[in-house]
Amino acid sequence: MELQPIFIQILSLAIFAVGIVVAISRRNIFFVLMGIELALNAVNLSFVGFAKTLPAELSVAGQIVPLFTIAIAAAEACVGFAMVILIFRNRESVDADTYSNMRG
Amino acid sequence: MTNIPLWLIPLFPLLGTIILGAIAVTSSGNKKGAPENLVGAIAVILPAFSFACVAALAYTMPVSGLHETICNWIDIPLLKVDIGFQFDALSRIMLLFVTGIGTLITLYSIGYMHGDRGFARFFAYINLFLFSMIVLVLSDNLLLTFLGWEGVGLCSYLLIGFWNKDLANCKAANKAFIVNRVGDIGFLLGMLSLVTLGGAGVLNYDMLNHFINMLLAGGHVELIMPMLFITCMLFFVGCTGKSAQIPLLTWLPDAMAGPTPVSALIHAATMVTSGVYLVARLSNLFVLCPDVLNIILVIGALTAFWAAFAGLYQNDIKKVLAYSTISQLGYMFMAAGASAFDASIFHVFTHAFFKASLFLGAGAVIHALGGEQDMRKMGGLIKKTPVTACVMIFAFLAIVGFPGFAGFWSKDLILERIFTDCTWVITGSWLAPVVPMNKIFYIVGLFTAVVTAVYMGRLIIMTFFGSYRGSKESEAHIHEAPAVMLIPMIVLSFGSIFSGYLWADSIGIHFFADSLAPVLAAAQSVDPARAFNSSILLSEFIPRAVEHVNPVIFAALGTLAALFGMFIAWKGWMHAHIPEAKDSSAPKGYAAGWTFMWDYVHAFFVKGVYVAAWICEKIVDACLQAFQWMLGAIATIVGDGATVFQVRKVRLQLGLSLLGIIALILVVLLTGGLV
Repeated sequence: MELQPIFIQILSLAIFAVGIVVAISRRNIFFVLMGIELALNAVNLSFVGFAKTLPAELSVAGQIVPLFTIAIAAAEACVGFAMVILIFRNRESVDADTYSNMRG
Repeated sequence: MTNIPLWLIPLFPLLGTIILGAIAVTSSGNKKGAPENLVGAIAVILPAFSFACVAALAYTMPVSGLHETICNWIDIPLLKVDIGFQFDALSRIMLLFVTGIGTLITLYSIGYMHGDRGFARFFAYINLFLFSMIVLVLSDNLLLTFLGWEGVGLCSYLLIGFWNKDLANCKAANKAFIVNRVGDIGFLLGMLSLVTLGGAGVLNYDMLNHFINMLLAGGHVELIMPMLFITCMLFFVGCTGKSAQIPLLTWLPDAMAGPTPVSALIHAATMVTSGVYLVARLSNLFVLCPDVLNIILVIGALTAFWAAFAGLYQNDIKKVLAYSTISQLGYMFMAAGASAFDASIFHVFTHAFFKASLFLGAGAVIHALGGEQDMRKMGGLIKKTPVTACVMIFAFLAIVGFPGFAGFWSKDLILERIFTDCTWVITGSWLAPVVPMNKIFYIVGLFTAVVTAVYMGRLIIMTFFGSYRGSKESEAHIHEAPAVMLIPMIVLSFGSIFSGYLWADSIGIHFFADSLAPVLAAAQSVDPARAFNSSILLSEFIPRAVEHVNPVIFAALGTLAALFGMFIAWKGWMHAHIPEAKDSSAPKGYAAGWTFMWDYVHAFFVKGVYVAAWICEKIVDACLQAFQWMLGAIATIVGDGATVFQVRKVRLQLGLSLLGIIALILVVLLTGGLV
């Protein structure tokens, strides 16, 4: 059986769901970040999958956008971890639920 | 046909400005200042070069004039302006005396400003002024003329406040600048309404004349009459600002705070006449609007009359000359108002000579007396400074219109042309069924000529005759000015004797009129009564047979006026005891009331602006602030309410926002968007 585009989308959806569930359900801030990264890469996968449905000369955009996303995700991860480390120094805790003193 | 490019003319003074500015900046630190010989040589030679260019071009100029487009300046969809120069009969006359007299006065300034700390700075400003003035008269479109117009205004400001240690000088400079701004708004709006009428192309003078010819050929003048009236009025407001006419004239007497050569060059000979130049340049436009010409005539006559009397009340020698300048400018505008534009330019030309020599003579007197300007402390100087006295007496004979001198030809020409050319007649007034305004204005002009002779005679008598009234120790120091100051004065006094012979109507010389004819003849031959019915004010045009009056009668009446005025002055001040000067030279009592009349009017308007500013600050601003506070309060209240939704759990909030996104996507998917 050949690899159908819809399978890629299903896989991508599954990974995205796992990422979101991890981000929401885990209390450890590192796992939350990991979940977000997972969801982000699921979207990248979805882009590449859709690109595959197009003829070769038009699929370039679908393959290039994930590259940009990866680059930005790397930058975002840097900033995110830097913030997590600073919060940890202040709080002595990696529990996301204790980070609740941001008042509106 | 010479091949001198036109841009060389403004280039020389610009170079001078840059070099002298650099010298002034670099030498500001050291103790001695810049070397005066070097600075003076640069400052004189560069304007002299541009005078040489002008003279060569003037001699070989073709009748149609020279045109030259240097480069593009503004190019946007609605406005395309080039930097272009136009050397025709009108700009030739203006350039000849601007650069010529400019060079002479620069030479004079070397002597007058000797030893001044800001020597290089002064000459940098003078060169910048000459550059701006050349651009003003040489440009071929209104926008570039406006650039020069602003440039001369700036230089006037810089030079009035040249001795900026004294607060009064700075105030006078500010006043000149601000009052001129009011006029400049008129110029700007005039250009704007001209563009509204004919598109951006008509800012070019040739295109403007072409546009006017099209209007006349198509008979469309009546159609755009109200707009045309507004345009001409706005341009005239610009002229009143620059040329010190009622009501924007208060700055010129105060401008005498500057160094005397500046008063001679900027506030007598050249800059203040640029308003007359503008009216002559736009003469084709102005003659379409007889109402505006009548207003110019009235304003000119009022200004000439008022300023002549104000000159009678001054004790400061420079103030007398300042009011006399205003009065002579009034004559020029009277001529322009009677659509005798060539006569007004002729008076600009002769006035430049005799007023420059009067101011330079006054400068030499002030120099001799070590800065004393009060005429009550002068007297008897003819024995001490004979050359200066002769120069000033020649110029005095020219300004009062003594037969044979320059002013005799130009002033009598103006009076004659007012009598013959003015076609304004008021009908059905309470005075008489038909009032011929030309006679009224002729009488006003003649009477003003008498007063001119009186106040100028008073100046000459109080300065040069009688006995010296100053202190004994100052009398010992009186000395004739150095040669570098005397030579320009002598040259200019020759000008004030002989420049009138370029257009001596009574002896049949029309050289000046013929040379101006290519530019101004078309405008002066337009007969408003015949061409179209364009009256929107009270005046009415009745075709009137031109009365033939022998020009000798005008000459005789003018001479009589001058002699009568001189006789009054001789009677009044020659042997009279002049009270000792104990206080400042400012006029007092009714004299002050007359002199500062327009300052009071200005104060009235300034009060109005203060009231408007108060209303803006206290009421409009308060309303706006109340509105702003209200918005802020609403935002605070809404924000306080919104904080209730904060659950302070990071994960829960992430979940909630995901739910929100899902809800949004569902809405979009199910309804195809809320729109």
